[in-house]
Amino acid sequence: MSGIKRREALLRVIDLCRTVEEKGLDPFEVDVTQMFDKLSPFLQEIKNQEEFYLDIEAVLGLAGVIFQQGDWIKHRSSLLYLDPLLVMFRLQSLSEGTLADIMMRSWHPVVSKECLSPEGIREALTYWENLPSLKERGVDFETGEMQRAAEASKDSLLGMGVIRSRRFIEELEELWRELREGVGDEGEMSYWEFIGAKTYGDTVKRAYMTSFLVSYGYVDLEIDPLEERIIIRPLKHRLMEPLEDRGEGLSVPISIPKDRWRRGRLGG
Amino acid sequence: MAEGDRDVWGKLARATQLLFYRRHRQPGARGWELKRALGRNYLEIIRLLDQEIQKIGLQVKEVPEGDDPESTRFHIVLKGSPPLAEARTFGWRIDDMAILAVTLAYILSKQGKAPAKEVERVLSEKFPKWKIERNLDRFIRMGYISKGEKDLLYLGWRSMVEVDQKTLLSLLLGRDRGESKDAEGELDR
Repeated sequence: MSGIKRREALLRVIDLCRTVEEKGLDPFEVDVTQMFDKLSPFLQEIKNQEEFYLDIEAVLGLAGVIFQQGDWIKHRSSLLYLDPLLVMFRLQSLSEGTLADIMMRSWHPVVSKECLSPEGIREALTYWENLPSLKERGVDFETGEMQRAAEASKDSLLGMGVIRSRRFIEELEELWRELREGVGDEGEMSYWEFIGAKTYGDTVKRAYMTSFLVSYGYVDLEIDPLEERIIIRPLKHRLMEPLEDRGEGLSVPISIPKDRWRRGRLGG
Repeated sequence: MAEGDRDVWGKLARATQLLFYRRHRQPGARGWELKRALGRNYLEIIRLLDQEIQKIGLQVKEVPEGDDPESTRFHIVLKGSPPLAEARTFGWRIDDMAILAVTLAYILSKQGKAPAKEVERVLSEKFPKWKIERNLDRFIRMGYISKGEKDLLYLGWRSMVEVDQKTLLSLLLGRDRGESKDAEGELDR
């Protein structure tokens, strides 16, 4: 056999073994004995190092297929074996409610309690060290009549300078990018940590913009009422459906009391 | 109280702290951690703890990892399963729970690993794309599934701990109808 044909044959065997492994195909589809019969004369004919390595890779691939055949037999003989097609058929024929019921009846949630860890204490210490003093934050306790809360329109916020005249969506996407960079590997962060800024005005502005990030499908917001935590997670892609169409037309009022902001205790 | 009893109760208290309080990214503790804290007879203490907490509807779940028994993870889980009507209490929506059932059942039927695209295709028969993406991301974060090389999805640590795989598949195939209820009816109520 010529060198080119030998090389092609080896690459075909390697490719076949990879496909079986990566796509989870039935490993018995590969006739391992026949493949070895095909490969065995190659060893005498191999002329260069590259072909030798390909031969090794092909043999390793076939050994991997044999290993998968062992797993396949174990799985099929276990109580858990189900034909994927049968499972798909059942999944399609059951309603959402029944599927959820099945899940709940197979579910035994873990019971665990959060506690303060040395890492948590370090994080708190860093926060405390970086927290500007009341003086630096320009806190003068105001007296006088409190204004009643009212709805703020986009125009009035533009007028007050809370948001800039730049295209609103550009500002949103900039904030979305900032959040994605800020969450790191965790993929989420505390809402209060994200909106917190050096001035009260900036904090309110960030909260206002964040509410649009949630409504416009850039960010997922989760409230844990027991732990009193609000978590935000940037999504990889913007969800194009409006919130109402997503069946999640919930309105979540979150107040930002100025006195608590002064004390650096938002969300706490 | 005898000295021996005091020692046992002290170890039971320590085991309770180790298993209930989360100290790592995952809750629970490994065999070697328990051995270090409770001594060589740690398995007996864990069994005693299991008996005690079963009285209040909890149990110790062992999840072996590898051949070494000291690598086994121990967790505390609910002994029974919460009813569907309480899904929201646990922070779950009914459709999210259904998506989890489909995802896990499909991965299980494919020998514990399935390409993400295939799982998404199966789910897209019933659920919108945005909901599938959001939930798969969430399941990965929570540990119900994990994503490996070449976009393959596997069962995650939490599924190993919390999900009774045999019950899930049996119920799915209608083999176990013993306590079957009209799930839709229960939802309506």
